[in-house]
Amino acid sequence: MKILFINNDGAGFADRIEIAEGTTVQQLFQERIPHGKPDSYLIRVNRQPTTGDYILQPDDRVSITPTKIEGAWSHHPKGRPWEPANGSTVCTSSAL
Amino acid sequence: MLTFSPTAWAKLLFLRDLGPTEVGGFGITEPDDLLCVRDIVLVEQQCTETFVSFDDLAVAEFFDQQIDAGRHPQQFARVWVHTHPGSSAQPSSVDEETFARVFGPCDWAVMAILARGGETYAQLHWRQGGAVRIPMRVDVRFDVPFVGSDQEAWQAEYDAHVHPHCDYRLSDPRWPQQELDDPFFDRLFEPAL
Repeated sequence: MKILFINNDGAGFADRIEIAEGTTVQQLFQERIPHGKPDSYLIRVNRQPTTGDYILQPDDRVSITPTKIEGAWSHHPKGRPWEPANGSTVCTSSAL
Repeated sequence: MLTFSPTAWAKLLFLRDLGPTEVGGFGITEPDDLLCVRDIVLVEQQCTETFVSFDDLAVAEFFDQQIDAGRHPQQFARVWVHTHPGSSAQPSSVDEETFARVFGPCDWAVMAILARGGETYAQLHWRQGGAVRIPMRVDVRFDVPFVGSDQEAWQAEYDAHVHPHCDYRLSDPRWPQQELDDPFFDRLFEPAL
């Protein structure tokens, strides 16, 4: 049977794939992302969170997407962290 | 070199300057030019002056929406852009950890940072033939098709997706509303003074 599979690892993937009848979400994950930690991904089927033992059905849409995308800034003692936009805050680039 | 269309760059500057917090998003590119960002798309995120965290469910929904729009993951999930409120665009340890964990399994990805002071930082992760990190220049390209600014729409996108969690009003008098709360603030602009 065929399902739509969406994944960003490797070259990135968003296409229909052939899987065996009775394949579970966990089996699909292990097959497609063998080195991945499940807790580093959000796995959804048909745009809904799912469980590892869910048995995939024909035409299911499975997405495996990253979690905990976080950025931070270490406070730099120089300068003000924020001030309203003005002419001096608009700069196309620097430190190239 | 990582490049931005004038519209994408203008949007990034606009988003950066809308508030005191960090803000992050994904760069959208065309299939024939994956290192030229044509748009910045925000996802639901919690932000402070020093931190930004994307909502996991919103990231998943973003992927679904972009796939439905006919894009490949390489066009929408490989250029991770965020701002730094200060003068430095150098990545923090959190930035580096996220980049390695989330984008390390990808064949390639870019972490791009724009600081409020104007400094930029970009790094290409390239996994083919052994993982390497390559510093990139950042520039604006004017030789690609681009449309005008749409600040009203950008503001609406910001309001819908960026959720500041700030204690800056308690700790930092630079927030303008705090100045407005000061009964003497208006008097500073009286001609007599």
